Amino acid sequence: MSLTDTIKPARTRAGWRPGLPPLQALLPYAVPAAILILWEIAGATGLVRETVMPRPSVILATAVQMMLTGELFTHLGVSAARALAGLLIGGGIGFLLGVANGVSRLSETLTDSTLQMVRNIPHLALIPLVILWFGIGEGAKLFLVALGVFFPIYLNTLHGIRNVDPQLIEMGRAYGMNGRRLFFRVVLPGALPSIFVGLRYGLGIMWLTLIVAETLSASSGLGYMAMKAREFMVLDVVVLSILLYAALGKLADTLTRALERRALKWSPAYANA
Amino acid sequence: MQMPDLAAHGVPTPPMLRHAPEGVEIAIRNLGRSFGGQRVLVNLDLDVAPGEFLSIVGKSGCGKSTLLRLVAGLDRPTSGSVTVGGLPAHEAGDHLRIMFQEPRLLPWASVAENVAIGLPRGPDPRAVAEALEQVQLADKAGFWPAQLSGGQRQRAALARALVSHPGLLLLDEPLGALDALTRLTMQNLIRDMHDRAGFTAILVTHDVAEAVALSDRVIVLGQGGILTETRILRAGPTTRGSAELAAIETGILDAIFAR
Ligand SMILES: Nc1ncnc2c1ncn2[C@@H]1O[C@H](COP(=O)(O)OP(=O)(O)O)[C@@H](O)[C@H]1O
Ligand SMILES: [Mg+2]
Repeated sequence: MSLTDTIKPARTRAGWRPGLPPLQALLPYAVPAAILILWEIAGATGLVRETVMPRPSVILATAVQMMLTGELFTHLGVSAARALAGLLIGGGIGFLLGVANGVSRLSETLTDSTLQMVRNIPHLALIPLVILWFGIGEGAKLFLVALGVFFPIYLNTLHGIRNVDPQLIEMGRAYGMNGRRLFFRVVLPGALPSIFVGLRYGLGIMWLTLIVAETLSASSGLGYMAMKAREFMVLDVVVLSILLYAALGKLADTLTRALERRALKWSPAYANA
Repeated sequence: MQMPDLAAHGVPTPPMLRHAPEGVEIAIRNLGRSFGGQRVLVNLDLDVAPGEFLSIVGKSGCGKSTLLRLVAGLDRPTSGSVTVGGLPAHEAGDHLRIMFQEPRLLPWASVAENVAIGLPRGPDPRAVAEALEQVQLADKAGFWPAQLSGGQRQRAALARALVSHPGLLLLDEPLGALDALTRLTMQNLIRDMHDRAGFTAILVTHDVAEAVALSDRVIVLGQGGILTETRILRAGPTTRGSAELAAIETGILDAIFAR
């Protein structure tokens, strides 16, 4: 998953394009289905060897088998838990700091330039250091994921709060709002679209970081499953773990989009969506 | 837009206010406001009687908004004082409401929730429904602001301003962004609400005809102070377009462009 494709603009109807014929709901699946069929045929006829790329049916059989033994769910669960914990810690701190720096000039003066400096270090460059600090335990992976998620959420929360329409804030004050009420009724809802952009960016970085961290050093999780399979040349498990990462990423994105549509249902961009 | 002169068309008038509040009195003494070295208002004196409808016209940049913001308590004078109902303007609180050129509705709150913002003591569905009815938006209570037309949004903003029955309504070119037809209906609505509720009103506008049509008195602002003031005695409800008013309008325009 690339990072850029997580930030699609909100869906709007492109009225100038000609309408699609009936059965259009199935159209997006036509190409993937064709690829799967061709892939299966290529494998079955020996055009592509199993040691290079296993067939879809073989991967499916492996998946079913690993589900029956429960191994698949164990790794999946471990990876998902790491992702979620990292997201909550890094995203939570990023959100709180973004709010604090958006609301308080003192807090911003104190911390923002430091954070901007740290931001220029690619967080994956810290891996050797992090392994020295935390060993290969859970701490290392949590730290990396949290750090990766922190910045997009921090930056977009800060940006969103700073860019709330000042006319609305003046209106709020003129109507006697201040402090907590002004924040929850005007500032936070106004910053929400930007915060969601940060969240979706953060999710992309979250999976990317987790894949790298689990592949380098772990004793469970999807990345570990893939590395172990590579050692024993079990290619179908390698491909399966890659597909599962993609599925998890897609699931997270879908959930966020649904949440976003709900939270921003007042916006014309989400009308009748 | 579907807002013809109510009385003239025999439309049943919306429910009366539960308690008709008194308009408050405004006293402006020796008022000065400078931005850096630029003296926008200089030694300005002005009294507005309770229930009076006053309009302020003048060239762009002459300080109309500055004066209104001072009366609203959104800004503090460099010198002099503004009292609203005997209180310093910034302490007048819920006695005064201001309406801007933009409706400034919260996009994430429904029309009814936006109107409820005008209630200082928490939501009161009956008061909100009544206010929405008065501006003919009862059927739009659950809509998002984005789903309203420009005129409807300004009507929602008017309902929000009046739901608490303020003693003073300040209007800073509230109709400036509307089309001509919608503007006329809004003018009737504002005048109507004023006649019924009895609040004091100060309207800033660049439209002299609008000022003359709506108010009891029009002042021309310029060079930091009041250049001229004109009282308008209205005989009947619809004197708009009469030769007499046209003459008054010409006089005011002359005063604006005198220098
Ligand atoms: N907050 C401010 N800071 C600096 N100058 C201001 C500010 N508000 C108004 N002014 C200046 O005061 C003058 C009058 O502005 P304003 O009251 O908005 O005019 P108008 O009559 O068009 O409403 C303008 O020259 C404007 O530049
Ligand atoms: Mg102005």
